[in-house]
Amino acid sequence: MKKGKKFWLNVFIFILTLFLVACNDGSFDSTASDASATDGEPAEGGDLIVGGLSGPTVFNSLYSTSSTDSTIQDFMFNGLVEMDENVEPQPDLAENWEQSEDGLAWTFNLRDDVTWHDGESFTADDVVFTYSLPIDEDYIGPRGSSFEKFEEVVKIDDYTVEIHLSDPAPDMLADAMGYHVLPEHILGDLPVEEVGTHEFNTKEPIGTGPYKFDEWKQGQYVRVVANEDYFEGRPYIDSITYKIVPDKNSLLAQFTAGDLDHLSLTTEDIPSGEGLVEDGAAIMESIESASYSFMLYNLEHPALKEKEVRHALAHGLDRNTVIDTVLDGNGNVLDIPAVPFMPAYNEDPPVFEYDPEKAKEILDEAGWEVGADGVREKNGERLSFSIISNQGNSVREKIMLIAKQQWEEELGAEVSTEIIESSAFSDQVHRHEFDIAMRGWSISLDPGISSAFATEQIENGTNYGFYSNPEVDRLREESDLEPDPEKRYELIEEAQAIIAEDQPYLFLYNSDAYTLYNPKLQGHIMHPKAEFYRVHEWWFAQD
Amino acid sequence: MITYIIRRCLLTIPVLVGISMVSFGIVQLAPGEPTALFIDPEISAEDREAYLEHYGLNDPIPVQYVKWMGQILQGNLGYSLINQGMTVQEMILARLPNTLLLMIVSAIIAFAIAIPIGVYSATKPYTLKDYTFTTFSFLGVATPNFWIGLLAVTFLSVQFGWFPTGGVATLNEPFSIFDRLHHLILPAVVLGTSDMASLTRYSRTSMLDVLDQDYIRTARAKGFKQGKVVYKHGLRNGLIPVITMTGLMLPNFIGGSVIIEKVFNWPGIGLLFIDATFQRDYPLIMGLVMVSALLVVVGNLLADILYAIFDPRIEY
Repeated sequence: MKKGKKFWLNVFIFILTLFLVACNDGSFDSTASDASATDGEPAEGGDLIVGGLSGPTVFNSLYSTSSTDSTIQDFMFNGLVEMDENVEPQPDLAENWEQSEDGLAWTFNLRDDVTWHDGESFTADDVVFTYSLPIDEDYIGPRGSSFEKFEEVVKIDDYTVEIHLSDPAPDMLADAMGYHVLPEHILGDLPVEEVGTHEFNTKEPIGTGPYKFDEWKQGQYVRVVANEDYFEGRPYIDSITYKIVPDKNSLLAQFTAGDLDHLSLTTEDIPSGEGLVEDGAAIMESIESASYSFMLYNLEHPALKEKEVRHALAHGLDRNTVIDTVLDGNGNVLDIPAVPFMPAYNEDPPVFEYDPEKAKEILDEAGWEVGADGVREKNGERLSFSIISNQGNSVREKIMLIAKQQWEEELGAEVSTEIIESSAFSDQVHRHEFDIAMRGWSISLDPGISSAFATEQIENGTNYGFYSNPEVDRLREESDLEPDPEKRYELIEEAQAIIAEDQPYLFLYNSDAYTLYNPKLQGHIMHPKAEFYRVHEWWFAQD
Repeated sequence: MITYIIRRCLLTIPVLVGISMVSFGIVQLAPGEPTALFIDPEISAEDREAYLEHYGLNDPIPVQYVKWMGQILQGNLGYSLINQGMTVQEMILARLPNTLLLMIVSAIIAFAIAIPIGVYSATKPYTLKDYTFTTFSFLGVATPNFWIGLLAVTFLSVQFGWFPTGGVATLNEPFSIFDRLHHLILPAVVLGTSDMASLTRYSRTSMLDVLDQDYIRTARAKGFKQGKVVYKHGLRNGLIPVITMTGLMLPNFIGGSVIIEKVFNWPGIGLLFIDATFQRDYPLIMGLVMVSALLVVVGNLLADILYAIFDPRIEY
């Protein structure tokens, strides 16, 4: 009987593989297993084998942007502060910290019991070296903006560091202090422009983290082994192997075959994960992810630049049905550029619920009249635009098609769709060459308003859709300088409501992140960003 | 003969230079650049610009080409733009042995199965067995490798558990020949299927042709046994077109390995190629193009030389 089930599961994977269609029978009900039930006492031993689609690039958080990189870096390194699963700052290499009255100076007291993997002691010199790097003019890396308010990092004594800022930085703990501290005794003598390409980053990373680098077999795996001298105690699990499996279906097949202990699932694979859970072969857990999806409007488009048109399009798209059919219900409709678990989240923004009649009324009132061929027109301009999406994202492709259908049939728009290879797609978006683009942001654990909504970011930054509202700019700047959290959150929530009303994006959803893991694995914690949060406290139950 | 080989070798130089120019241009024509993958909304324009400037990506394409060529002439394929600090050489060399192993084993399997079947079919043409082999070889030619690969993984690996689901060796286990072979066999057989099938067709046709020749009839008339006639007198001549095929198979293998490596998670240059292309890691793409071009050119050269050895009628 069990065999039979397994067989059908495989047939399912097989069909999925061949035709790349997702099963949308909507039968999934959210039954994340209770993972807090743990058997017995933690015991040392075991090798954790995890998998991901791509290999790492560099083991240095100041020089990398990929999520694989940060996953592997987290095994080997620590920042001064880490954000826990409830988005609260927790001590990491810093024991405690203090902000000056004016918010322009932060003092961090460091742990004095930390050693690097090569046996050297960790001191304030390492911290000064690390956080001075990205503010150096010779720094070549992607992380300068997290440190733009840094003026100077000063050593007070061996275990105390003071950071001087040009302006208050309320996102300090959630952002800059999470970057991993690097060993000054290894990298300190290099010219700054060479730090990013030093062998340390790819061949012999030395960190302070719970696991030490062991081996990186290109295209195959990265293995790290337990750091016996970790400052929070030796990790229970002996080694972690991050296996590189470039095909999504192979990843699931490997988990099914028992070759992986841990796997992040994509939405389409949740039904397969369910099957494994029913067979007792896996535990599945989910959490709201720190990301959201949206349709990005180009506000220079003759029709889309009108706020009324964007309101009508939002009223004309049934986002609940999108989530139920495309995501199998695994997501929440979103109206603002933030996710619900963040400390600043406006609960009561302007909402554009599905209402095609209202959408038509708005268009009629705005002067968009149905023309001879059924497409609305205004002053000779047709309500016509294209939607683009990147190749290989079937969820976005499906949403794009639903939008096309609903907007054409119900609103009288003329919509074309196009799927573009990923790099070419990003390029087109960066050059502002689109009408509507299917996009998503992965967001940081600080609730601040993203620079993607700032006018100054239109020219060369991430504001690809030409959104500009002086009020939002003002609130963003003020909230970025406001040291009092409560006041800051108010400013942010105010800006969120204005953005919701302006609709520079058609906000779609914030999806849940799903993880499958070996039922023997104990102590697993779901975290909105870190896949292996506090992995040194995980362990394998013994038979 | 020697002068011919030297001339052929020298001829490969302009060919490789031509390939490098054309592919350098095409690679740069593709929209996008490596920083397109900096997807974090908070990465600043200055950081992005500094990166492009540092790696010379803002230079005009001909300037970039000349710089790149200058490096090549010094025997240096450059640095990866994505895996910063790693050289293209070390990245390719880490993977190339895996691809070569897969290709060679796959070719051996293809020859070992295809030629006897082809010869057998030719000696018993238009029989039920011949038709059966013909049907299967047509199926083999017509079915895409990756599809067979996915079927093999789904059923033979996941369902029945006879083979590993991918990779070159079992993780966290000491090296063992058996384990390596166990991982190698599925991808090698699958990569070889279409060539196996077309080789069967070629060797059958060519043997049929040869077995019809007068000298074969003479050999039979002299009273030689069937086996000796077919394998001694027939095969040597029958194989000449097959050698041409072998030269043509090499690009096939390289192209096929890109897909098969993805299906079987085989860490060779094919997978590296895919990653490099999607990430627009220009030096790595160019390095891989040049290595593949070199393999193909050398393969064709070998085929030509073998041709000369096997066919005494050819003079140079």
